[in-house]
Amino acid sequence: MSKQKARTPSNQLTGIYKSESIRDVAESLNITNLSDSVASALASDVEYRIHQVVEEAARFMRHARRTTLTTSDIDQALRVLNIEPLYGHFPHNPPTFRRALPFPQFPTAGTVYFVEDEEIDFDRVLREEKITLPKGVSWNAHWLAVEGVQPLIPENPPAIPKDVDVEMNGRSPGRPGSSTFPSADRPSSSSAGKKQPQQLVKQVLSRELQLYYTRLTTALLPTGTPDDAKRVAALVSLRNDAGLQALLPYLVRWVGEGVVNALKGGVQSESEAKTLGVLLDVIGAILDNNTLFVEPYLHQLLPPVLSTLLHSTLPPSHAAHLRTTASQILSHLLTQHSTTYPSLSPRIMKTLLLALISDGKSKGTREGAIRGLMGVGKEAIRKGLVEGGGAKVVGNELTMGETGSIVDSVMAAFQVLHPASSTPVPLDKNSQDDSDVVAQLRDTLGDFFARKLLHDGAWARGVITGSQEESP
Amino acid sequence: MSVPTPAVSTPAEGDSPAPSTAPPPADPSSNVAQGERLVLEYLRSRGFKTAEQAFLSSIEAGTEGKDKESAAPSSSNTVTSEELVKNIAVFASKPNKPAENALSESSSVVSELGTMGNPANIQNLIASISSLGAEEVLRLDPTDKQEGFKELEAWVDGSLDMYRPEFRPILFPIFCHFYLDLIQQGFKEAALRFFSEYSGSLAPVHNPTLHHLSALLLPTHVEKDELAQRFRNEKYTVRMSRSGVDLLVGWLTEGMGGEAPGSGEGFSGEKGKRGRLAVMRVVNNHLKFDVTASPSTSVSATSWEESTGLLSSLIPQSSGSSVGDAHTFNLSKGELKLGPAPISEELRAETERQLREHAMMDRDPAAQYDAYIRPATIPGVVSPTFSDLLPHPPSFRTVDVRREVEKVRDARKRIRLEPSALANAANPGQALAARARALPSVCAYTLHDVGEGVPCCSFSQDSSLMAAGFAESYIRLWSLKGEKLKGYRSDFQPSSIHNTASLRKVREKGGSTTRKLIGHSGPVYSVSFDPVGGSATPPRYLLSSSADATTRLWSLDTMTNVVAYRGHQNPVWDVQWSPMGIYFATASRDRTARLWSTDRTSALRVYAGHLSDVDCVRFHPNSLYLATGSSDRTARLWDVQRGSCVRVFIGHQGVVSTIAFSPDGRYLASAGEDLAINLWDLGSGKRIKKMTGHTASIYSLAFSGESSLLVSGSADWTVRCWDVKAAGGLPSKVKENGVNGVTTNGDTHSEGPSHRESESNNETTDLLSTFPTKRTPIINVQFTPRNLCLVAGPYLNPEIR
Repeated sequence: MSKQKARTPSNQLTGIYKSESIRDVAESLNITNLSDSVASALASDVEYRIHQVVEEAARFMRHARRTTLTTSDIDQALRVLNIEPLYGHFPHNPPTFRRALPFPQFPTAGTVYFVEDEEIDFDRVLREEKITLPKGVSWNAHWLAVEGVQPLIPENPPAIPKDVDVEMNGRSPGRPGSSTFPSADRPSSSSAGKKQPQQLVKQVLSRELQLYYTRLTTALLPTGTPDDAKRVAALVSLRNDAGLQALLPYLVRWVGEGVVNALKGGVQSESEAKTLGVLLDVIGAILDNNTLFVEPYLHQLLPPVLSTLLHSTLPPSHAAHLRTTASQILSHLLTQHSTTYPSLSPRIMKTLLLALISDGKSKGTREGAIRGLMGVGKEAIRKGLVEGGGAKVVGNELTMGETGSIVDSVMAAFQVLHPASSTPVPLDKNSQDDSDVVAQLRDTLGDFFARKLLHDGAWARGVITGSQEESP
Repeated sequence: MSVPTPAVSTPAEGDSPAPSTAPPPADPSSNVAQGERLVLEYLRSRGFKTAEQAFLSSIEAGTEGKDKESAAPSSSNTVTSEELVKNIAVFASKPNKPAENALSESSSVVSELGTMGNPANIQNLIASISSLGAEEVLRLDPTDKQEGFKELEAWVDGSLDMYRPEFRPILFPIFCHFYLDLIQQGFKEAALRFFSEYSGSLAPVHNPTLHHLSALLLPTHVEKDELAQRFRNEKYTVRMSRSGVDLLVGWLTEGMGGEAPGSGEGFSGEKGKRGRLAVMRVVNNHLKFDVTASPSTSVSATSWEESTGLLSSLIPQSSGSSVGDAHTFNLSKGELKLGPAPISEELRAETERQLREHAMMDRDPAAQYDAYIRPATIPGVVSPTFSDLLPHPPSFRTVDVRREVEKVRDARKRIRLEPSALANAANPGQALAARARALPSVCAYTLHDVGEGVPCCSFSQDSSLMAAGFAESYIRLWSLKGEKLKGYRSDFQPSSIHNTASLRKVREKGGSTTRKLIGHSGPVYSVSFDPVGGSATPPRYLLSSSADATTRLWSLDTMTNVVAYRGHQNPVWDVQWSPMGIYFATASRDRTARLWSTDRTSALRVYAGHLSDVDCVRFHPNSLYLATGSSDRTARLWDVQRGSCVRVFIGHQGVVSTIAFSPDGRYLASAGEDLAINLWDLGSGKRIKKMTGHTASIYSLAFSGESSLLVSGSADWTVRCWDVKAAGGLPSKVKENGVNGVTTNGDTHSEGPSHRESESNNETTDLLSTFPTKRTPIINVQFTPRNLCLVAGPYLNPEIR
């Protein structure tokens, strides 16, 4: 409250105390026949006395270096005016005035305010309420100005550009030739001051980077626009351009949110699938860019990739492509970073195996897991499909003679494990040797995939032996 | 103005309302006496007391000095009925009849107006008719005041730009008197209407007074209220140029002279005339014109502040002779001894010896022992001698020497702040460097969780201690160096103390870096560390003043209250040590400031004269003088020993909340609730400049060591730096064009806030820098001896309240 400015005397200041109030008081004292003139004269007098007290109290307020009048000021004022103070009002808990419900029978009564008098149950207070002592007064010191320049520290308010303007106005007339002075004077403070409010969003981004970011994201998405050239250009830029490190956290977050949004929608439509594709491309591009230091953000990049990979229902037209891309990215990521980030591949493996083996997963998830394992490498396939019994689990879920992408992917995985021979020699059921292999095959891979491998003895052996070599 | 009176009556003649209701003049060829009687009767019946009185005096004047007033129609022996009608009209509207000739030579207007209506016989006559008159007055239509003020305001606003700032100040007293008149005559409703209608334009400048007056609602209030009585009994001084007075008188008599086209129509009617008459009554009875010879264009926009108001009681009446304005009073008090206080030769010699030793030890060729330069005397400033000083012990102590030595070191190591360098810096690079040289480093101490409030805070000169007085009646002391503050145990035998070692044994164990001093029974409004140790040693005593009307002395060795000084009857607002210790001064709500010595429990001197609370008190650096700032909107300078007022500084439009002396002893800065800081020249008592820019109360002021920079702390959560030496003034782009400049400035002061373009308008050009804080009103601003600025304030948590 700045007194000088805010308060303009108006007729509100006079005649606040109504003669009706006097009459009310009189009635409460059993004086019913108070004449109008007396009442209004008394009201005027009461108002004058109140003004007197308030004026006196304002002095105490001023000397207390406050700008709010408190009950203690009134108290002090009454004391020096030799009036008995009003007891029971403490500045510590200023009374809150509540508005009473309107009286329908007296529409003229106007609004009535009252002080709420809370009833306190001592038992409850003693039992429950912990009286906390206020933390005593403390101080801290900071530099408000160092040689005339206000440092930008949290203790100081952010510089207001207007202030600089004001100074400019204030100065320039008196000082010819120094028009550049105020701006040159604290450029850092003014520019930083403008950014301060946005600090939470973009801390150190230059304008150019911010612009680049918006351009990039708008070029990449939405996929509805047929502007593929732009998208490709954006990806190329992301793949090759240097100096984007500062943007990385924002891009990573953008990708993560994009994937989550796309997957949340169920990925039924083409466009969402396309979006996912683009986002995977972006991740790929980020990983491809040699100038970026991605490692700190890997833990943020993995969820989108794995989610895409293992999502149960991708649209059939794009499913294979998306899963393949995701697995490629995974493989790329692992080859690049598994050396510096040793716990990376075990973590990924664990996720994939869980998706492959555990019950109740959809085919899509299983397929994704298999493709992921392919991306991770030969050992992973062996561990997952053969030793972990992944093939068996998948096979059991399939009906005999069924084909589909999942079967293809398993077969492709076997291909990776051991290349199929160009001239397949089927296993001979009669041969003792071969029948052992067949039994083993059925044992480890289950009926479905054993049957698939029966026609190529060398391949089957390769798949099995590889596992045998590992198993001891 | 066009003088010949009969010509006036053209409007009056046009519809001649006044005479038409009057009894027709019976005998046109009657002699003067009869005509006069008729006029008197008429005037009496109309209730024109003043006019009547004026008329009577004019008759006197006419008979006494016929030669002088040869042209006055009232002195002509024969009048035709028509002429009589005209004359009546003139009288009705113009009671200062005798002056009408003199009005042409405006310089004598004032004296004429002043002397008028005082002769004893007229007084008797008035007394005899007063009972009748009072009734007449009551029957008066209160609207004449409304009308009059409206016309006056229209006239002032319509007057030439060059005169407007001059005329503006007269609106306020007339407004006040009209309001008081209406209240006193019982027209409460009319008074309220009048107030609400016309207070708006006056509010920006006179808000506190208006607010006070608005509370007066009954005739008894007017009789009891102090301010109202001052309005009634004292003359409100208004400074005006000669031509300004001419124009005003011209308008009052003729309803012409610069009013806006169309606005003068009311004056042709009865209503307008009566309104004008009401204005004139106030002008005659309650206004005093201080006519300056200078043309109005050369008067700066704010100069009216110094010479306008109920001045007569503010200026101390010395030896019976009444002195009209502050300037003459200040001149009459002669020269002041503003130079630095002398140092005894022994102390000086010892200090020099010590300095020499230090220089030897430090092996610092730069630190010459002769760096102990005797303070350069500024030409024109008289330095006091030993006999002028307050009595002090003749011998010096070790602490004195250490203080003096430290003073020299401080002076050498002080950061020089030269705001003047800013003005000379041409290119930005230089400017940056100059800025660093010109502006101080400010260290802010923010108090958290202060609860009820912290009215005061102070740092010791060696910056080792900070003390804050709280609304909860206690004082808290902090060691800024992180040392533990220990008192003494209370359970020791004095007989067991033999040396410092045994004394150290009875010190308290433990302790913390903060300490609560409890003793007061009301909010603590001021604390002051004793200055004896200077910046060399920590202070040993602390003074505090409180709402419980006591001042207390605390020993910082024992951390206990040593003495309570009682004498004031009311809250003590401020306490301040004299620059050399031993003595201190207090300022109280009981309208006095007092001088005390620490070894006596009763006051040595009482400085009485302020008309309202004494809000702050400061010692002049050489301890010869004491400055006080008061709620009566003045600051005064007192001779400490004689107890007499030697300077009065009038110009603030609000309570003077804080003051500060410049270390060189030549200037006084005062800050008021009018959000302005005024800089005064002590020698002449004149205002050097007015610095504005703060947007809330200013709580503290401090000069830098070289007296070149002023820092202010305020409730608007800012610390501002001001260039003391710069010319200042408002940054109007038309500054070079005097006429326009004055106009814009005048508007800033007289029109509502909505008329202002923005707050920045308000900042004078000598504002070097503004350092905002986070919700921290700055209650104390101080410079260390090495020119580091320390500020303190409580952080206001936005969640509370």
